[in-house]
Amino acid sequence: MTGLASEVSVQPGAGAEPEYVRRSLISLEQVTRSVMLPDGKNLTILDGVDLQIHGGDHVSVVGRSGSGKSTLLNILGMLDLPTSGQMEFDGIPVESMNPNARAVRRGSAVGFIFQQFNLLPERTAVENVMTPLLYARGRSFWQRERIAAQMLDRVGLGSRLHEKPQKLSGGEQQRVAIARALVRGPQLILADEPTGALDIGTGQAVMALLQEVVAESGAALVTITHDPNVAALADRHFLLDAGRLSAGEEAA
Amino acid sequence: MSLSGMAAALVEAWTELRIHRARILLALVGVALSVAALTAVVALADMARAAMAQGSEAQSGRPATVSVSAYPNDGSPADTAALREAYDATVERYSVKHASLFFPTVIPFQFPDGVVQIQTSVVDVDYGTMRRVKLDSGTWFTEADAERFAPAVIVNEAFHARLGYPDLDADPVVEIRNGSHPVDAVVTGVRPNLYPEESASAYLLTGAYDRLGTADNGSVPMLELWVPEDTAEALQHAITADLAAQFPGMQPNVYRSDYAAWGDPYAVMTLVVGGIAGMVMLLGAVGLLNISMVTVKHRVREIGIRRSFGATSGRIFFGVMLESVVATFAAGVLGVMAAVAVVKLPVVQQQVAFGVTELPPFPVEAALLGLGAATAVGALAGLIPALVAVRVKVIDAIRY
Repeated sequence: MTGLASEVSVQPGAGAEPEYVRRSLISLEQVTRSVMLPDGKNLTILDGVDLQIHGGDHVSVVGRSGSGKSTLLNILGMLDLPTSGQMEFDGIPVESMNPNARAVRRGSAVGFIFQQFNLLPERTAVENVMTPLLYARGRSFWQRERIAAQMLDRVGLGSRLHEKPQKLSGGEQQRVAIARALVRGPQLILADEPTGALDIGTGQAVMALLQEVVAESGAALVTITHDPNVAALADRHFLLDAGRLSAGEEAA
Repeated sequence: MSLSGMAAALVEAWTELRIHRARILLALVGVALSVAALTAVVALADMARAAMAQGSEAQSGRPATVSVSAYPNDGSPADTAALREAYDATVERYSVKHASLFFPTVIPFQFPDGVVQIQTSVVDVDYGTMRRVKLDSGTWFTEADAERFAPAVIVNEAFHARLGYPDLDADPVVEIRNGSHPVDAVVTGVRPNLYPEESASAYLLTGAYDRLGTADNGSVPMLELWVPEDTAEALQHAITADLAAQFPGMQPNVYRSDYAAWGDPYAVMTLVVGGIAGMVMLLGAVGLLNISMVTVKHRVREIGIRRSFGATSGRIFFGVMLESVVATFAAGVLGVMAAVAVVKLPVVQQQVAFGVTELPPFPVEAALLGLGAATAVGALAGLIPALVAVRVKVIDAIRY
């Protein structure tokens, strides 16, 4: 177990970087994803994508609507599989894992942050953050409430543990979502338009927090966004256009 | 599945039930009512059956009751003494645990308003058990009663009324006008009338009757045996052969007299009640399935989110199924409690078990059936939504 689920190791100054940092986490080689349309034609969404992501990387992917950004994110998060090409997650070919193994790996190694937060309604903030821990084992499961509360405290919501999402502002909801994504100490955070539903000021604050807690955990962060300001925060930039991924400028 | 996995699935199911309690409560009202109806119908039918069986057993004996008698072929008076000796030998030979002589006769009793010939059944001690004789007051005969100097007599309510309702604690005496040698008998028990207009009648032990020295009235004594059902037929043949050999001039008459001798008389009633109960439960299940399907459609996004956080398809299936089963089990418990409350109402029990001496208890089988049916309905009603939930496409669900 790495990262946050083991006692919220995202605490500032938590110590040495986890051992997987800078190790190859995701490798995509000539990955394509296509779907069959109702009229029988083949639609290629991703076309020959090559991408290497290492532990601790902060990668941004920008692209217009329909360019394949969400499909790429789904493949990176093992929610979807490439039609062709090779993908490895932490050195293991994804196609060699059965659906249950992928689900278990996804639960322990990947955290998702969605544009619309996707918090579970009628559940409090702490219950939402506890949700991923329901799929963990051992101490992470049995102490899920304490771990979730610590995580919410880390994102500045320690006083709003028992508020339901409808009582929280957009920024607060996204902070709950960040806490939920990080609570199992994943190796990879996938953020799909994390500021898309927030105003500029709140979006900046949320991104600052996200970068901070992800950096503490040593996880890799892949941000998919329209917003050039959000993309600029990453170390490595990619442009996705008509399913083809090309490298942008590296951060200084 | 690991311990934490099992616990997590239960936690998930319970959380879902807690969060959607209003909807679930509404859905479960139907299930609880169905279970209550099913349990009550089955229980009432079972009790009615038990009540009817009790009535039948009082009339013709408990399964299997074998009646033994023999009549002279030429219509001459039977040698009752020889017959009774043969009966005693039969009981001993076949080690019958419960046996009683049954000898209907008429005995003159002295009442305040004069001597009345009373229909009297001369029986042995076991007769009370074999015919489920329940008394309003006093106790049935014991072996010690056979030795009493003043014979014990058990009377019906009409007899008791004719005596002026004497208190049995005071050992009320009634005179048997036995020719020139009247005998004082002590009333030791009173049984309720079997029907409203029943005339006065009494029971007397065989030994006591013999000591009265009453003249033989030509009635043929009958022997009743209460034996295991699987041995009854063989025993009938054996006793018939024994009596035929022992009394060449008589026609042995050995047959099963209990109500079950002709098969289960309640089989049709059981089938009808079972069919009704099944329909009731089916309606409850369809209602629950309907609501469960609608609920799952509303939970597609939530299921997608859970999948994105690592829920396997097995966990999703088990979770949705468990929610349904836990909820219907709880509804089943409530339904069974409601059914017990209704069935235990005195007005209901009087209707079901009218005239029955031993009120049948609430059948445990009915309660278990109710709980089992509730759980089965939960599993069935949860199965289709669980399959739908597993087929949810995560990517589409998250964007739902």
